Amino acid sequence: MMESGKYKIVCFMCNWAFCQDEMRIPPDVNVVRVMCIGRLDPAIILEMFENGVDGVMMVGCKPPDCHYVDGNLQAERAVKMLRKLLKLTGLETERLKLLWYSPTDEKSFGSYAKKFLQEVKGLGFSPLRSEKPKSNLLVNVSAAKNAASDFRLRVLLGREKELTEGVNVYGEKLLAEEFDALLDEIATEEFVRHKIHVLTKTEPLSVKALAEALEMKTANVLRHIVNMRRKNMIALDHVEGTTPLYRALEVK
Amino acid sequence: MRHICIKHNLDGLIYRLTKLYIGKAGLTMATNIQTKVRKLPPCRAACPAHVNVQGYVALIQMGKFKEAVEIIRRDMPFPAICGRVCFSPCEDACARTNVDQAVAIRALKRLVADIERETGRVKPEPIPKKYSQKIAIIGAGPAGLTAAYELAKLGYPVTVFERMSEAGGMMRYCIPEFRLEKFVVANEIAYIKDLGVEIKTGVEFGKDITIQSLQNEGYKAIFIAIGTQLGMRLNVLGEDLEGVINAVDFLRAVNLGKHVEVGEKVAVVGGGNTAIDAARTAKKLGAKEVVVLYRRSREEMPALPHEVELAEKDGIKFNFLVAPKQILGENGKVKAIECLRMRLGEPDESGRRRPIPISFSEHQYEVDTVIPALGQVAEISCLPKDLLSKEAKAPSLKVDPATLETNMLGVFAGGDIATGPASIIEAVGAGKRAAVSIHRYLQGMDLRSGREEVEETTWVKNWGYINKKERRYEPPVEKPRVSFEEAREYLERVKQQAMFEAFRCLECGPCAECLANLELCEGDKAVVDESLCIGCNVCAVVCPFGAIKKNEKEIAQVNEDLCKGCGICAARCPEQAITMKKQPNERILSLALATIKR
Repeated sequence: MMESGKYKIVCFMCNWAFCQDEMRIPPDVNVVRVMCIGRLDPAIILEMFENGVDGVMMVGCKPPDCHYVDGNLQAERAVKMLRKLLKLTGLETERLKLLWYSPTDEKSFGSYAKKFLQEVKGLGFSPLRSEKPKSNLLVNVSAAKNAASDFRLRVLLGREKELTEGVNVYGEKLLAEEFDALLDEIATEEFVRHKIHVLTKTEPLSVKALAEALEMKTANVLRHIVNMRRKNMIALDHVEGTTPLYRALEVK
Repeated sequence: MRHICIKHNLDGLIYRLTKLYIGKAGLTMATNIQTKVRKLPPCRAACPAHVNVQGYVALIQMGKFKEAVEIIRRDMPFPAICGRVCFSPCEDACARTNVDQAVAIRALKRLVADIERETGRVKPEPIPKKYSQKIAIIGAGPAGLTAAYELAKLGYPVTVFERMSEAGGMMRYCIPEFRLEKFVVANEIAYIKDLGVEIKTGVEFGKDITIQSLQNEGYKAIFIAIGTQLGMRLNVLGEDLEGVINAVDFLRAVNLGKHVEVGEKVAVVGGGNTAIDAARTAKKLGAKEVVVLYRRSREEMPALPHEVELAEKDGIKFNFLVAPKQILGENGKVKAIECLRMRLGEPDESGRRRPIPISFSEHQYEVDTVIPALGQVAEISCLPKDLLSKEAKAPSLKVDPATLETNMLGVFAGGDIATGPASIIEAVGAGKRAAVSIHRYLQGMDLRSGREEVEETTWVKNWGYINKKERRYEPPVEKPRVSFEEAREYLERVKQQAMFEAFRCLECGPCAECLANLELCEGDKAVVDESLCIGCNVCAVVCPFGAIKKNEKEIAQVNEDLCKGCGICAARCPEQAITMKKQPNERILSLALATIKR
C-alpha cells in the first residue's frame, strides 16, 4: 500500500491572488489558476478526489478583497457544502482546504503550501490512490460528485445568498442555522440517491440489498427509490420471485 | 504569470466601493471613465514628462521587468538615469503618502532599468524615416535628447549638435560618477542613437554653426536646448583669488578626468544638489574637512533629503544661516572665508523664507578652497540678440511656455535655457513638449489647440480603508558585493522584493495602458445554452455584476458589457447551461488532471 514518491496536491488558485512564487511552492503542489475561486465548480473538486488526489487546496483573495466583489464568499459556501459531502463519503475533510491569501501577505504562498503539504502528509496518501481502492469509498466519492453536479444541491448553493441575506415574497427570512440544516438534509438525501444510482449502475439490485449496502432502513431506501423513479434516475429492471430489482438509468 | 488589468481591477473596485464605502463619489468616477475624460493617477500627473508610473508598476507586480522598461521608454528615454537622480515628484504625489509612505517608484524604475542593462538590452530597430524635413537640435542634454528621441520616433531625421566631446550634457559632465555612473548615461544615449538619431559632438553653437547656417543647410526646425552652463558668481570681494572654483566648473573638470586640486579645508556655498555633489566630490578627492554654507535653514534646502543624509554620512558638515561676505586671501591664494549670520524673514516669491543678514555677526572659516554653488545661468553669447528675453532677471531665452516657440519662425527652445536651472525630468518634459510643437509646426497644424491636459484622480476616498504596508524595497546605497553563486539568488530576492513593493501601488488611475494582457483585456464571457436553461435565476443571484438576467422568455441572457468573465455563474448553474468562452469547466478539469499526471 505504501507508495513512495510524491504527494499529489492540486491547488486551485484565483488569478488575482496569484503570486509568482513558484520557486518556493513544493513540487508536490500543482497550481491550477482559475479566474476566481468562486468560479470553481464543486463537482471538479470531488472529481479530483475521485482521481486519487491526496489533497485539494483552494486559494482565494482575502475578504473583503475580491476582484469579483464576492466570488470568494461563493467559494466559502461551496466548501461548506463540499465538507458535508466529504464527511458522508468517509474521506477526511482535512484533505480539502480553503485558504485566503493575498500576494502582499507577510508570509509567502510557498509557506502556506508547505504547511498544507505537511498536514496532508500527516493524513497519508489518499485511499483512492492505490490501484484497487476500497470500492465502497470510490462509490461514495462518485456519488458525492454526482450529487454536487445535480440540480438540487447546486440550486441550493446558488440561492444561498438570496435565501439567507434577503427575504422571500412573504417577508420571511431564512436563518443561517436553518439553511445549514436544510443543506445538511439535502446533501444527505442527494448523496444517498446518487449512491443508489451508482450502485445500481453495474447490476440491478433489490431494495433489501441496497439497504444493506447503505446501512439504512429499507423503508427509507424505498422512499428514495420512489423519488428517483419519478425523476427518471432509476427504473425497474426485472422481478426475481417477488423481489423487484432496480437498475440505474443514464441521467440526461 | 499573474493576469491583471488595472482597468478591470478598477471597475471591480469601483463597484465594490460604490456598494460599500463611498456611495456617490464612486459612481461619478465610474461614469467619468465611461465618458472617456482623460485623467491620470497622481504620480503620472505630477511627473513633468507624464511617465506611465502606474503601468510599469503594474508590470513589475507581474514580474515583467523588461516590459516595464519599454513602458517607461514610451514616455522618456532615460529610465536608468531618472531611476538614480530624479527628484521624483511622483513619489511626493503618490496617493499612498496619505496612508503610510509613497511607493518606491524611483527605486523600482532604477531596478528595472538596471536589470535590463545587465541582462543585455536588445538593440532596437532604427525607426524608418517617414518625413523628409530635417530637424536640428542644439545641445545633447536631457531636453535636447528627449526631443530628438520623440521626433525620431515620429519618423523625422534628427541631428543633435553637442559642443562637448560626448553627449549627455549635465548628466554626463556635472553629476558625479558616484551618483550617476557614466556607462549608464552612455547606454541610454546609445539607445537613442540606435533609433536613428544622429549626434554630432564637438560642434559649438555660435562658432561652428549658427541658426542661419543651419537653416541654409536645410534644417526646417531648430530646437535650442543648450541649458545653463555658467556657474553664478558670488559677487563678493576676493572671488578671483586662486582656490575659488565654481561648482559647475569643478564638477565638469572632475568628470572630464582632469586633475583638480582641492585643499585640506573646503567650503561649499549653496544648498542645492550641485552644492551637495561638489561637497561630496571634494571629500572623495581627498579634502579633510568639507563644510557646506547655506544661507537658509535645512528645511529650505533645495537638495534632495536623502542626498543630504548621504553627504552627512560622508562626513560633510553643514552650516546653516550663513552667507559669505568676502573671501580673504594671502599671496593671491584663499586663506579664509568671512561670513555673516542670517535670520529668516517673510516667505519670498519662491515660497521659502527670505534670509536677512544679522549685522556685526561676521565670522571666519579658515579654508583653502571655496566652491560657490549658487546656481547656473545661461551662456547667452552664442545666441542671437533678438531671441533673448529682456524682462527676466537672469539672462534667458524668451519662449512661449506652452508651445516653446521663440519669436523666430521654426526655432524652438526649451529646458534650462528657457526656465532657468531645473531638473532632468523637467527638461525631459520640455523636450517632449518641444517635439509635439515641432511636429505640429512641420505638419502645418495648430500648435496650441488640443494639447493634452491632465487631471489627477484617485478612486480612494476613504484612506482608513487602506491597510498600512511599509516599503519593501530600497535600492542599495553601495553596489552589493556578491559572488557568482550568490548573484542569482540575490537578483531573485531583489526581484521578489520589488514585486512586493509594486503591490503597494493603489492603482489610482483608470486603465494604465500597460497592454500587458491584450487577450485578457477583452475578457472571458459567459455563454448560455438556451436549450438547457430552465430559468431558475441562480445565475442572476450569484453574478456579482448583474450581468446575467432572465429575459422575457424566462431564459438567462448575458449582458456582455457588464460580464467580466469570472465564471461564477458557470460554476453554480444547476443545469450546467452556462459555459465560459475561454475557460469552461472542462478546461479547468483537464488542466487539473494534467498536473497530477505529471
